[in-house]
Amino acid sequence: MLSIRELTAGYGKLEILHQLSVDIQVNHMTTILGANGSGKSTLLKSIFGLTTITGGSITYNDREIIGISTENISKLGIAYVPQRENIFASMTVRENLALAVRKASRAEAALRIDRAFDLFPILTKRANQRTGLMSGGERQMVAIAMGWLMNPSLMLLDEPTAGLAPLVAKEVFETLYNLSQKGITLVIVEQNARTALRWCEDVCILREGTLVYQGRNDAFAEDDSLLHTYLGLLSIGKQ
Amino acid sequence: MFERILIDSLIRSMQVGSLYALMALGITLTMSVLKLPNFAHAEFVTVGAYTALIVSRNVSTNPIIILGLSAIVASVVALVSHITVFRPFEKQKSSIYIMLLASFAVGLIIRYVLFLTADTFDLFDQRIQVPLEIWYRTDNFILSNVFFWVVPTSIVLVIALSLLLNATPLGREMRALADNFDLARVIGIPVERVKWLTWLLVGALAGISGALWGIQTSVSPLMGWVVILSVFAAAILGGLSSFPGTILGAYVVAFSENTIMQVLNFQFGLSFSFKPAIPFIIIVIVLLIRPEGFTQFFKSNRSLKR
Repeated sequence: MLSIRELTAGYGKLEILHQLSVDIQVNHMTTILGANGSGKSTLLKSIFGLTTITGGSITYNDREIIGISTENISKLGIAYVPQRENIFASMTVRENLALAVRKASRAEAALRIDRAFDLFPILTKRANQRTGLMSGGERQMVAIAMGWLMNPSLMLLDEPTAGLAPLVAKEVFETLYNLSQKGITLVIVEQNARTALRWCEDVCILREGTLVYQGRNDAFAEDDSLLHTYLGLLSIGKQ
Repeated sequence: MFERILIDSLIRSMQVGSLYALMALGITLTMSVLKLPNFAHAEFVTVGAYTALIVSRNVSTNPIIILGLSAIVASVVALVSHITVFRPFEKQKSSIYIMLLASFAVGLIIRYVLFLTADTFDLFDQRIQVPLEIWYRTDNFILSNVFFWVVPTSIVLVIALSLLLNATPLGREMRALADNFDLARVIGIPVERVKWLTWLLVGALAGISGALWGIQTSVSPLMGWVVILSVFAAAILGGLSSFPGTILGAYVVAFSENTIMQVLNFQFGLSFSFKPAIPFIIIVIVLLIRPEGFTQFFKSNRSLKR
């Protein structure tokens, strides 16, 4: 379980998260919602040691991870897919994926990359193309595939559908749902609350650097006023 | 007469261009992987030349031993510069301007240590003690053994470097750092180790090019500094990121400095004292007209994206 206690973090002197506490349940899809600047991305970056942390604790499976350097966090079974620049744009799809399995032996790496192509069929015919030349949706798939190849038990994704057409966004969430069915815990920061609430059973809402709501997505389906209260949305919209 | 001068200058362009290419690749690698415009590269070159000089006098005149030891000493100097100067600045998240100034400082320190050494042991403008032989002679030109060391060695090293970058896990990791440093850390690449290896590689390249440069001319504490502007001109022509662009840039600069200079002198009586201005002119023209250098010509190639 990922457990965050009274986390205070930001960038240099700018403090974004103020004593934020939240627990993330294992084997669930959790979405983190909130307005721009509420600290959603900062929360994910803090887990990966990319912010200035001035207080609190972050434990994963009862192990404190504050202080572990960014390049060693993935060894704990946590993968992070940043929002922007989440691929190596000057390299091919295959090279990107190979970097994610760099620890594995040659044979095992090839096997795992093949499995990634099974799981993300859209990438198969683009294997030797430079990722910088691909569409937003394809790039997002490369980034998610890289995260998955690191064999994580917990995956953090920062706005995986930002800037994508609704149909492509749906594909991304279908892929993420498949990953969660394989037993990976997912934490997804989203701008698009309606889409996220359809797919993620757990919901956290941040406002100004603190947690203001945590619950199940059913609650939102039953009670439209919740969304209005927390996100200023009028209705979740029926499918 | 003119034909003979022309052929002579073309041979010189090729020899000088190959060495510029070796040095400029080191600068391109430092710039893209380590994000540092490293002017101390000049002094890594000089360190290689002095190692070659000392080895050739005291240890062996076998070119392989000379080049090998020059590579080792210069790569150690490069790594020590990283650990003692560049890394502490990186840790403070210093801007590229501060890093650039730091590289000047490192270069100055090394240069004056070399001055002291040269002064103590009387090593100014000395020739590296390798036997000079004529390997090929026609009516119009002479090719010495030096030509056959410099040009093939450079070509082999450039090919080896391309293979390393494109076909090995270390090369892929170096390109990952060049492309997206934060993502490289996020996916668990041991970035500090990759940086160390890059410094060793860059230092070794500089050391070998310094030894070869010293073999074809003579060794002095200022020799690296004198060529560094030409080398930066070559690297800028390559857009500071593309390998093929950098190599082409190196030959263009060397050709301008030697063959074009020679022609201008012969036909129009232009003084050779204008030669050092040529790299400046090239840098200014490239930055004005084509800031991206030759990179566009090599779009299909995988370049080290900055």
